[in-house]
Amino acid sequence: MERGGSCRGFSREMEVPLEVLRQRESKWLDMLNNWDKWMAKKHKKIRLRCQKGIPPSLRGRAWQYLSGSKVKLEQNVGKFDELDLLPGDPKWLDVIERDLHRQFPFHEMFVSRGGHGQQDLFRVLKAYTLYRPEEGYCQAQAPIAAVLLMHMPAEQAFWCLVQICEKYLPGYYSEKLEAIQLDGQILFSLLHKVSPVAYKHLSKQKIDPILYMTEWFMCAFSRTLPWSSVLRVWDMFFCEGVKIIFRVGLVLLKHTLGSSDKLKSCQGQYETMERLRALSPKIMQETFLVQEVRRW
Amino acid sequence: MAKQYDVLFRLLLLGDSGVGKTCLLCRFTDNEFHPAHISTIGVDFKMKTIEVDGIKVRIQIWDTAGQERYQTITKQYYRRAQGIFLVYDISSERSYQHVMKWASDVDEYAPDGVQKILIGNKADEEHKRQVAKEQGLQLAREYGMDFYETSACSNLNIKESFTRLTELVLQAHRKELAGLRAAAAPADLARLDEDELPPAGAEEAPKACWC
Repeated sequence: MERGGSCRGFSREMEVPLEVLRQRESKWLDMLNNWDKWMAKKHKKIRLRCQKGIPPSLRGRAWQYLSGSKVKLEQNVGKFDELDLLPGDPKWLDVIERDLHRQFPFHEMFVSRGGHGQQDLFRVLKAYTLYRPEEGYCQAQAPIAAVLLMHMPAEQAFWCLVQICEKYLPGYYSEKLEAIQLDGQILFSLLHKVSPVAYKHLSKQKIDPILYMTEWFMCAFSRTLPWSSVLRVWDMFFCEGVKIIFRVGLVLLKHTLGSSDKLKSCQGQYETMERLRALSPKIMQETFLVQEVRRW
Repeated sequence: MAKQYDVLFRLLLLGDSGVGKTCLLCRFTDNEFHPAHISTIGVDFKMKTIEVDGIKVRIQIWDTAGQERYQTITKQYYRRAQGIFLVYDISSERSYQHVMKWASDVDEYAPDGVQKILIGNKADEEHKRQVAKEQGLQLAREYGMDFYETSACSNLNIKESFTRLTELVLQAHRKELAGLRAAAAPADLARLDEDELPPAGAEEAPKACWC
């Protein structure tokens, strides 16, 4: 089926055998029930299990534990309901409303205008503008919140969003977007080490990182990768933080522009940008991607 | 081998979030309209070659996120544009009011000779109209711009407005582009690294290429 590599590595979706899945679920249940102990003493093990993929049935819960949003909610009981009742600043409401139907429009949760998914998305995003009025709403928060809502109720999703905006990707969504521009530069200098060929090519073509990494990073790849890969990346991201986002970016760049062979068909600026917008499914496939990310 | 195009330049779509910039672009380049689509985060672009007055023009059209805070990212691309669409949504008074702000940003950051046209999109949504056609015309007159009401959904005035802006850019650069059809290499007005493009009609501009 595939040249060189194993067929399994490039199969369309990794099917975890039921037995393995049950085992993983019971391991995760044990971890979640004794979370503080695990975090204090066996963090490496948690990391490994996140890399292997969190069982779908427990993913939403696990993300809340990993991100610390569970604790945050417990410290702020009633806060979300309070924010939920406030009207909100019309300046933000207008922009948010224009975005509600433009997140995962083919996902059953968000497909209908005014449906539950879109209503919850509105509530979560509006609540954030009231929670951090100085930051308000940034358009890239919508896909992040939408992914969270696919896994947990609105209140939980809100606190998880808070953790992402404040702990995982601080400054990404705030007024001047400085953090994302800085991380673009950092990504580019890391690329110099990881793939000098790709680095040289992008430098020569004068393609600024902001042109290809803004959506990748701000949406934590939720709009870029196939769905099964998004979930695996987020499992690792919640455990290990922003470095996972950097690694995924570097893997994608390296495997897209990292050899003279690959560059033959994208000599110009436009061709290169096109290539980065339409990445090869092979390199985004979950098993391959996770394996490459774990190599670091 | 024959040239695939005679000249290459860059156009930019600006306007509030949700006015339909991406849909205008998709309709023009791929003749497609997707009611279900995602918001633009950051910058994106598409290419299309059209023929105007016998000149094959390859246009690179940049699509930008409309939310204000993305301007810190998108502004750096203003000065590399030769033509700009200022887009509002006829069903949103707010987006119309904001055209003035977009226009003043263009004055500040885009090159002097940049060509602009005004677009009132979503003309098919007559039942939701908040901005009269006359208001669009009046604003365009004030700024000395051409004006089109368009609909990406019903394919109204899409080709016309893109062709018009292309013509305006060609006219503005006619000196540099003189003798183009006879030239062996295409003129490239849109290199990303060409930061210091001379303004339209600059005397010292070389014949057909600023590379």
